[in-house]
Amino acid sequence: MSEAGVIHDIGYQRYEGPRLGRRYSMWSIYVHSVRSAFGIGRTAKAKLLPVAMFTLACLASLIIVVVSSQFPEPILSYVGLVSTFSYGITAFAAITAPELASRDLRNSLLPLYFSRPPHRTDYALAKFGALISSVFIMYAGPLLIMFIGMAFSSGSIGDVFGELGDLMPGLASGLIHSVVVAAIALPLASLTGRRVFATGLIIAVFLLSAPISGALQSFSRGDAAYLAGLLNPVNLLNGVDEWLFGTVNEITLIGRFGPIYGVAALLLAVLGTALLMWRYKKVKS
Amino acid sequence: MNLTIAGLTARALLGRRRILLLLPMPVLLIGLTLLANASPAQPDEWAPIVLGQLGLGVILPLTALIVGSSVLGLEIEDGTITHILAKPVPRSEIIVAKLVVAWAVTTVTTAVPLAIAGVIADSGALGIGLALGAAVGALAYTAFFLALSLMSRRPVAIGLIYIMLWENLLVQFVSGARTLSIQQYSLTLADGLAGNTTVLNSNLSTVTAAILAAAFVAVGTAIATQRLRSFALTGETS
Repeated sequence: MSEAGVIHDIGYQRYEGPRLGRRYSMWSIYVHSVRSAFGIGRTAKAKLLPVAMFTLACLASLIIVVVSSQFPEPILSYVGLVSTFSYGITAFAAITAPELASRDLRNSLLPLYFSRPPHRTDYALAKFGALISSVFIMYAGPLLIMFIGMAFSSGSIGDVFGELGDLMPGLASGLIHSVVVAAIALPLASLTGRRVFATGLIIAVFLLSAPISGALQSFSRGDAAYLAGLLNPVNLLNGVDEWLFGTVNEITLIGRFGPIYGVAALLLAVLGTALLMWRYKKVKS
Repeated sequence: MNLTIAGLTARALLGRRRILLLLPMPVLLIGLTLLANASPAQPDEWAPIVLGQLGLGVILPLTALIVGSSVLGLEIEDGTITHILAKPVPRSEIIVAKLVVAWAVTTVTTAVPLAIAGVIADSGALGIGLALGAAVGALAYTAFFLALSLMSRRPVAIGLIYIMLWENLLVQFVSGARTLSIQQYSLTLADGLAGNTTVLNSNLSTVTAAILAAAFVAVGTAIATQRLRSFALTGETS
């Protein structure tokens, strides 16, 4: 076994098995990020906040189901539930996005990632996907509870399938909301390694835009008042819901501008993704 | 008050470029007020949104959250808190110095623009009322968030949930939640000092608001001092 020039053969061997490559490392980053967003695999202290928020959302949904069962018609549709919860879920995104992006920047972990197979864009996309999934879970939990509650209170098996048909637009709208919210939150979080400032930045965008759009709506007339809702991401998303799924919603008055809301949401998602990839192309590592 | 600690805190807070992040908010407030004032709509229609919801409801708590939780929070995160704790300085002195700096910075960046916006919107009385209401609110908020930064590893997350879910969401549905909302105290005091104008909607009585705001400051300072007395340095939540 010993070769020439080797003093002691201490048994080092070359790895010759299959290498899992880019795809697999991307998947690993994604899984790890989703888990860390909810504190799975971390200490109880890290679990406290995300789990409390998830429980709160599910409880609120449960209360809505119980109240609904007292009336002949449900007080809130599935899409309506998504629209109503979006404001609270932006708070979840503002807490989670820095958890995913800023910690790696702060602890200078990026050189370790980028010296391995995943490319910079792979890392950015994996993190983006993880944030979308985590936010979507926050919508899906309450939606599922609502569905189970409604299905149990309905009489026949046909009603259950009817409910399932109603659930699908709710899930679709939840997915649209998650993508847009994540596309706003993650690029902002990737700007700074300090979680304090990352959270502050994200929440400033979500919180400031609401009264600005409200003020513009209050002192403009006609078409301008309809378009003022575009400035507020939550309003914008509710407008998209109204346009796509036709929910009755008196918060946003989108008028005949439905398609513009749809295009704006799409643009926001694309722009957010592009900015995120650009940011990770440039980031020092 | 310990001037050395106050000076160091002010320099740590203001000496970096990131303090410029606080600048867009006052500019936005005054800009929006000017824009609204130029429009044909009456101040009664837009002032509750611009001054109440945006000014006292978002800009004041957000500034106080970032400033209040970073005066001590950044030192804890960086570990430089050990240098202060190793000196023979009473803990209460440290807390008071930090609180005064946080309050001063928050007041300058929020009360002054609110006063200007109030004068533009209505009258000098509204401007003075808003400035004083914001100053009291800033003190209560910073005391609260300072205590929070010593009680939790994630003060910003908890402060954020308080601002978004308690003050801006729950208060709309549960009127009892108002008695524990700093936003309502500053709104009530601003309204009371401006002579109960129509442009701000307050729901508490002025005396209640003043007492509860003072209670927030006292309890916040006391808890922060107590927590700093038995402070244990630990790492980030893993």
